[in-house]
Amino acid sequence: MNLRLTLTIVVSKIIIKACRIARRGGTTLPGRIARFLCPDILNQIAKNFKTIMVTGTNGKTTTTRIIGKILDENGIGYITNKSGANLVGGIITTFIDAVDIHGKCKVSTALIEIDEAAFKVMSNYLSPDILVVTNFFRDQLDRYGELYTTLKGVKEGIVRSDKTHLILNADDSLCASLGRSTDRKTIYFGFALDAYKGVEESINSDAMFCLYCKQKYEYSNHVYGHLGGFRCTSCGYSRPETDVTCTAVEELTSSSSVITYSAGQESYRAKINLPGLYNIYNALAAIACGTLLGFPPDNTVKALGSFECGFGRMEAIDTQGKTIKLILVKNPTGFNQVLNYLLTEDKTMQLAFIINDRYADGTDISWLWDVDFEKLQGIQDKLENIYTSGLRGEDMAVRLKYAGIYSDRISIVKEYKKLVEQGLSRTPIGHSFYILPTYTAMLDIRKLLKDMFSLKDFWK
Amino acid sequence: MYELNICHLYPDLLNLYGDRGNIIAIKKRCEWRGISANVFNLTLGDTFEPETYDIVFLGGGQDYEQEIIQDDVLNQKGPEIKNAIKNDKVFLCICGGYQLLGNYYKTWDGKEIEFLGALNLWTIGGKKRMIGNIVFECDFLKSPDSDGLVVGFENHSGRTYLGPEVTPLGKVVKGYGNNGEDKHEGAIYKNVYCSYSHGSLLPKNPALTDHLITLALKQKYKDFVSLQKLDDSLEERARTSMISKTVTSG
Ligand SMILES: [Zn+2]
Repeated sequence: MNLRLTLTIVVSKIIIKACRIARRGGTTLPGRIARFLCPDILNQIAKNFKTIMVTGTNGKTTTTRIIGKILDENGIGYITNKSGANLVGGIITTFIDAVDIHGKCKVSTALIEIDEAAFKVMSNYLSPDILVVTNFFRDQLDRYGELYTTLKGVKEGIVRSDKTHLILNADDSLCASLGRSTDRKTIYFGFALDAYKGVEESINSDAMFCLYCKQKYEYSNHVYGHLGGFRCTSCGYSRPETDVTCTAVEELTSSSSVITYSAGQESYRAKINLPGLYNIYNALAAIACGTLLGFPPDNTVKALGSFECGFGRMEAIDTQGKTIKLILVKNPTGFNQVLNYLLTEDKTMQLAFIINDRYADGTDISWLWDVDFEKLQGIQDKLENIYTSGLRGEDMAVRLKYAGIYSDRISIVKEYKKLVEQGLSRTPIGHSFYILPTYTAMLDIRKLLKDMFSLKDFWK
Repeated sequence: MYELNICHLYPDLLNLYGDRGNIIAIKKRCEWRGISANVFNLTLGDTFEPETYDIVFLGGGQDYEQEIIQDDVLNQKGPEIKNAIKNDKVFLCICGGYQLLGNYYKTWDGKEIEFLGALNLWTIGGKKRMIGNIVFECDFLKSPDSDGLVVGFENHSGRTYLGPEVTPLGKVVKGYGNNGEDKHEGAIYKNVYCSYSHGSLLPKNPALTDHLITLALKQKYKDFVSLQKLDDSLEERARTSMISKTVTSG
């Protein structure tokens, strides 16, 4: 028996309990203390697990959840970091929480969402069996330095993870580059040439120029952002062939989509119980994971159709015949996708933006100027009231004013309780009150809603 | 009716940290006053004809993107940019764009990269990034209605030093500024305004935006006197709340 390991686990478990009693989330502190007590803790515990890791800028939480649903559908038990605790400390907490005092666990699969900037450090302790990378977009640059630094970090992490299988987005020139010049087994997912006709998003694309030779890419098709059929005419770097391919988007509504996709020789039709194009990519990543694990395709299709949103990314609360819809926003591309989703709403709505600038949100909020709020002009008649809140609610109000939104419909409401009450009371029966918070604002508003409408604990 | 033509240089490459908000702010504040504002995007390979434009904007990019434009900006557009500056054209240059107007950039390991040399200033790369909210005081913005304080967000590792012909844009109240040493932030030379402040700089600092618009209109129209006032209550709330938060923090 390893005394130090046992001691560390026991101490950490007590801290986890204490945090929960104090209702302070308790998702990262115990892990940090555990690593202090026993630096090798993760290696010792995690070696008994088959580990699937999901990283990338956008969609990692949703992708992790869909993979979880696919595991459920196949009767595979697993542990996972559910509440978006995706830095090294939070991941250690997840493992400690799952094992007994000897470091053993009943299940042998770990499904872990990991922050793209934390993956490099993590790879020192734990090498995943499967690494899913969703995409790379600009995100909270003040924390991560630059996009290319983040990409390089993930690449270095992959070099260290010698047994890893990769699942990569072929339509993202940055993400797909991870599969180049590596001998790791790689599966690519993406959209077929004519599956969906997106428009080129002109000047704010995150990767217009070839990663290798700096020539401007040519595109055979655009899906959104810089995702699509890219090709460099100078050095020949181009979108790799896909193994899991969306061949047609048959339906795209404000709550779900229907697609056909191919995996291997076969073609399948699936309903994805999530709105938005970006979630089709998340589904493709999860399908690729199911394929790699050799699961029956029927189970995957079933999982996609019955998937329900988890913590934060998009969550609905029904009350008094009205719906509060919470959608996390955290970077320009993701935010634009959320706005596109709002454009599909056919009823009038109340809309709140809650913008914080704490460390986990990104302390620089200038990215709000890269979001195309101008497109909300098209639905001004449906936007009855717009509220801005959070530590940077004033900046958000200015952004909306300069996006051409009528100033007299914008109000800054700093107190969350008042915000929820006001927004809800002005929402007609059968309509929705949309709340779009950044990460730490999400934690706060979620806590409030939990008290007001008795939602379940988010770390369960 | 007055009209301004705004040139956005390399919007597809130098567009970091919401810098396009500066263009939006100039355009909107013109339009709200019935001044028409046209934005022209110029990138690699396009010819820069300065007489067409009244305000030129140059933002910052990541190292990767700055490398892509290096040749184009130095050898293609460079001579015309220098001419325009000599002839009192209004420029706003942020971060990387600011550094680019200087003489050179010396990396922390001693490699020297030649820049435009339009302004007598230079930049030395550092290992430490200077990141955070910044407040600085601009004397030329002080008036009975304005305290002259400007707030933004800086994120740079280069330390910039000014030659004798170039004056600082402002005096640092909180933050690092040009180099974290001399309390200077940004630069002014003729009608060229430079700053390390992203954030975006102009939307939250309407007095500075209006200063640039006024300069440009005065250059173009002999009869122009001054801008009409706007309701800036939202902008003022954003500006003052960030100033007090920044000044009182750690
Ligand atoms: Zn190339």
